[in-house]
Amino acid sequence: MYAFQVLSDHIPLFLTGLGNTLLLLVLSAVLAFALALPLALVVTRKVRVATPLIEAVSYMFRGTPLIVQVYLLYYGLAQFAFIRGSLLWPWLREAWTCLLIAFTLGSCAYLIQILRGAIEAVPHGEVEAARAIGMSPFQTLRIVVLPNALRRSLPSLENETIFLLHATAIASLVTVIDLLGAGRNFNTIYYFTYEGFAIAGLLYLAIVGFLRLTFALLEKKLLVHLRRAGI
Amino acid sequence: MDGGQHGVDRDSEAAGAQPIIAAQRICKDFGSLSVLRGISLEAANHDVISIIGASGSGKSTFLRCLNLLEMPTSGSLRIGGEDLDLRPGPQGLVAGDRKQVRRIRAMLGMVFQGFNLWSHMNVLDNVMAGPVHVQGRSKAEARESAEHYLQRVGLYEKRDAYPAFMSGGQQQRAAIARALAMEPAAVLFDEPTSALDPELVGEVLKVIRGLAEEGRTMIVVTHEMAFARDVSSKVLFLHKGEVEEAGPPGELFRAPRSERLKAFLTRAAV
Repeated sequence: MYAFQVLSDHIPLFLTGLGNTLLLLVLSAVLAFALALPLALVVTRKVRVATPLIEAVSYMFRGTPLIVQVYLLYYGLAQFAFIRGSLLWPWLREAWTCLLIAFTLGSCAYLIQILRGAIEAVPHGEVEAARAIGMSPFQTLRIVVLPNALRRSLPSLENETIFLLHATAIASLVTVIDLLGAGRNFNTIYYFTYEGFAIAGLLYLAIVGFLRLTFALLEKKLLVHLRRAGI
Repeated sequence: MDGGQHGVDRDSEAAGAQPIIAAQRICKDFGSLSVLRGISLEAANHDVISIIGASGSGKSTFLRCLNLLEMPTSGSLRIGGEDLDLRPGPQGLVAGDRKQVRRIRAMLGMVFQGFNLWSHMNVLDNVMAGPVHVQGRSKAEARESAEHYLQRVGLYEKRDAYPAFMSGGQQQRAAIARALAMEPAAVLFDEPTSALDPELVGEVLKVIRGLAEEGRTMIVVTHEMAFARDVSSKVLFLHKGEVEEAGPPGELFRAPRSERLKAFLTRAAV
């Protein structure tokens, strides 16, 4: 009982953690998507230099653990005098900014692949019908290709968002109080291991539940056209 | 090379009596393979021209050259009195004026073998998309005309359905409504019944026949010999990328001159 009493005294700690986790998740998810969509389009267009370059960078981010990228950014950058001297240093010295950058780029690397696959899976006949009716390339993209591809990629986007949420737990390793950080602080002060981490875990679970619900609604609304098509 | 002299010829456009589609010596190579070897065709208003021939004879490729879904290697096109600005490029012709290409495509409706409806839109949105986004018509106006054409192909009740929920015959009729809603000067049909189950062919052919009787200008690539015989004003028989024989369907089917057409018609069992 004592544990729960102490816990109720530390609601602000967990709220701070929840706030940081949610903010990191939402900001990096939105930024990653905004970045990934144009890059995925470049990849599908097979542009001469840009496509292999994007593929290579995406491979680098997917090829190394996110935590390594965070350490390189947060601890590594400080070794370079020119970065310490740059205008960006006030931001780059902050763990929060480093996390946001790492999460955004890391998630973007995966999103590029998800979106590339979805765009390439749009039936060629539908693109041809758009051209044949007189749509411009941009209209074809906006009216036919992207609505089709984004709907198609909803289930993968949901997965990627959940992975990203769980990846944000890395924040607690570089001084930011996120959900896991709150649980750990609680544990460090009182040695109430179960209570602290269980609350954190339950809150993660709740966020995932909310994400699941949001995507389920989106799918219900946007994927009606596929329900009979065996998908 | 003389692309700069092309463009809209206002005087002849005003003359009116000229063909809607005039294709001159269209050639198409895929690498070293010559698929089209100089095919010419003229379609005047109210013409229904059927293109028949064995698979691989170049029928579909030729049709797709007319709205530049396929770029010819050489040849010239005049659509609705407008010479297309086609210039020689490294791999055949390239369009000099993309806006002109889009304008031409909007003028020529196209119906595909595989329907190619936009799968994430319901039937009504499929039919409205062209008029709204390409022609800039108001949604209300586009909706009214879409409903009219869906009525015309017998799909008004299905207007809220998505393509995946419909039979092939219904999808193809929806695709025809989509083409008609653009009020095209001519409609190109690329084997419109070849992907359909036999029992669904009839409902689609009936719609296309109706359009022919309305006096619509159409070019139909088809394997339906009875349709070609009954409906066309002219038939082109292609063989290996060339027009082997052309003429009114009566003559062509009753008294084919070339051995190849004779053999083809025997195989097609007319």
